[in-house]
Amino acid sequence: MAILNITYNGLSVDYKTTVSDRMTDRDIRRVAIELIRSGDLPGLHIAHLPKDAFDSYVVDRLRSAWGRRGPSGREATRIYLRPKVPFGEG
Amino acid sequence: MGCRNLDATLRLVDFDRVESKNVLAQAFVRQSVGKNKATALKQQLQNFFGLKVEAFGVRLVEANVAELLGEGDLLVDGLDNAPSRSLLSRFARARQKPCVHAAISADGTYGMVRWDEQFVPDAEDHSGQATCEGGEHLPFIGLVAATLALTIQEFVAEGAQRNSMISLTGVQRA
Repeated sequence: MAILNITYNGLSVDYKTTVSDRMTDRDIRRVAIELIRSGDLPGLHIAHLPKDAFDSYVVDRLRSAWGRRGPSGREATRIYLRPKVPFGEG
Repeated sequence: MGCRNLDATLRLVDFDRVESKNVLAQAFVRQSVGKNKATALKQQLQNFFGLKVEAFGVRLVEANVAELLGEGDLLVDGLDNAPSRSLLSRFARARQKPCVHAAISADGTYGMVRWDEQFVPDAEDHSGQATCEGGEHLPFIGLVAATLALTIQEFVAEGAQRNSMISLTGVQRA
């Protein structure tokens, strides 16, 4: 299982329920749309979020370096749906 | 700027020149407009803070990466394009050098500071995409820069390699 974090419009929210860590990137984007439309993510409720809102977003799957534990006590995968970050500081 | 307390020699690599719009979003002053960015920042850091700084006003490419970065104990990426970031990553991994990346989204609402082991560069959505210039995102850029500085300071002090993601709701660190 995995913890799903979604960032949109500068707001970053963990989904309270774990999700399957075998979800495809496409599934994650689709789930994110539904979660935001339905208001299941605190602070991120957009009823008419366009269905292509996450088409250019990146799905990151991180395990050990983020070091969080899942409900079972095992190390949990964290899945991040986030904007691309092509730019630097210089 | 956020690492000026460290006892280290900084080596800056940037082929670009300072434009007036950069003064609004980057660490340059008006007197630096027209100068090479690496040289301009070197002068500022030396004059204002007495730091030990070396500047190389060249583009980082396969042919010079070893000469420019081979002596580095820590590689810090603030580049703005995926090919150069990939080059830096390949070099760091080949030489087993610690390398930390800082990256910002085009709309200035999301950033990350991530160590190389878990970093994959993102390409622009399209060539010439608007960048974080003009001061529009200055506070957020400052937040990302401060997070990068903190990450570097922790690494120097205790060898820690902590990743961070930065949004408008705050900094989430591991």
